[in-house]
Amino acid sequence: MNSEHKSGAETPVIELRTVNKYFGTHHVLKDVSLSVRQGEVVVIIGPSGSGKSTLCRTINRLETISSGEILIEGQPMPAEGKELAQVRSRIGMVFQSFNLFLHRTILDNVTMAPMDVLHIKRKDAEEEALKLLRQVGIEDQARKVPAQLSGGQQQRAAIARALAMHPKAILFDEPTSALDPEMIQEVLDVMTSLAKSGMTMVIVTHEMNFARNVADRIIFMNDGAILEEGAPDEFFAHPKTERAREFLASFRNEQKESEL
Amino acid sequence: MKNEKNNIRDFLYDEPGPKAKRRIIFWTIVSLVPIAFLLYRMTVRFQENGQLAPQYWSFFLKYTTWRFIGQGLLGTLEAALTAGAIAFVIGFLLMRGRISRSGILRKISAALIEFTRGVPTLLFIYFFFLVVPQTGLKLPSLLRIALPVAISAVGVVAEVFRSGVNAVPKGQTEAALSLGMRNRHVFYKVIFPQAFRYVIPSLISEIVIVVKDTTFAYVINFPDLMQNAKVLISNYDAMLPVYLIVSVIYILINFLINQLARAVR
Repeated sequence: MNSEHKSGAETPVIELRTVNKYFGTHHVLKDVSLSVRQGEVVVIIGPSGSGKSTLCRTINRLETISSGEILIEGQPMPAEGKELAQVRSRIGMVFQSFNLFLHRTILDNVTMAPMDVLHIKRKDAEEEALKLLRQVGIEDQARKVPAQLSGGQQQRAAIARALAMHPKAILFDEPTSALDPEMIQEVLDVMTSLAKSGMTMVIVTHEMNFARNVADRIIFMNDGAILEEGAPDEFFAHPKTERAREFLASFRNEQKESEL
Repeated sequence: MKNEKNNIRDFLYDEPGPKAKRRIIFWTIVSLVPIAFLLYRMTVRFQENGQLAPQYWSFFLKYTTWRFIGQGLLGTLEAALTAGAIAFVIGFLLMRGRISRSGILRKISAALIEFTRGVPTLLFIYFFFLVVPQTGLKLPSLLRIALPVAISAVGVVAEVFRSGVNAVPKGQTEAALSLGMRNRHVFYKVIFPQAFRYVIPSLISEIVIVVKDTTFAYVINFPDLMQNAKVLISNYDAMLPVYLIVSVIYILINFLINQLARAVR
């Protein structure tokens, strides 16, 4: 493979080079290297405590790293200030606990950053926000505050809020883990249509069926390191490592039990 | 709707059963008896000593008396509002210092907070009344009461604000940062508005304390409600009626503050 001859050879949107992170003496990320192309959907799976959330959060520097390098569109991640904020504004993030601004309406949640960071006029920002809320199916909730919405609606609002910044990529940190089972699907549906529209996504999740359907690439993490990486069909059908086989087996058992 | 739990008693106790209901009635009566007795004895004693005689009460029928009390009330409100405003601004700045990234600023703010919380208000009053004039600085009398009252409140206000900021979930900051907002904007647009709502009840308590602290105005002859009450007492020799009426006015002020706070929420 010679990338120089490939037409449209592009710098990855997100690139991690041998990233290491310690919490005190605890080694939570071990030599993690990862690169995400424009339009690619990368799903990170693995047992809890394997470092996948931490990895996701290092990408926009909500977690700092101990060593290694993180590049966004080929540029090293700035350490602070205006430059860091500028890069963050181009990388959306969706959290497990939604983290909508509790004191503002859904509409304000979506317009706040575009107005504050991109200096878009209120009228234009609201127009765009309503369009996005329609896209995620909750335009009729625009004037409510987050506490009046169901978990699934809140998470869809959070996705609209991220989209309002027209990000180059969106990070999803276990977006359905705090949801009741019947609300998970409505969020996954929004994410699926986003993926189809060509959005670059990094998703940490425990939803295996969703991962299999949506991912361009699966990353399997265990104990702070990337253990396996590959196309979803290949990974789910023939996991190479014993640890991944165990992990997937635990999910299959769970599924069988729920079918009984 | 009985099953909506919005009264503090609903959280503390079970719905009372028949035995508990009887017990509640019994203890209500038992506790009312001594209160009624005390009130009765007080009235009798005042009656015997002539404190209820018309001459001690009739001057309340005069317009000038109420105008004088009204002037005192204005003085109290003026002092309390000025002190409250100063305490809020400086308290806010001290809180910012206390949570600053600079270690030095944090330590200085913490020391100032401890100092202002630890020293009695009266000491600050004397300081501005007796010590400050010696430096040749001549403060208007409003500031001589408002400044010390404010200073003795700023430490508490700062800590109240800080407890509010700490109560805002960390995810709020993370969400704002992840959208590209700068630290300062995150604080003023996301964190502080939420923190402020959390601490309204504690702030109200502090405003009530500020109102009560303005009664120290009598020390420096600032014409507040308390000072004017003293003048009335010496003019009419009527201690009980004047103190009674003035207490009721203070209670009303603080009741109104509470109502106002409820309306704001």
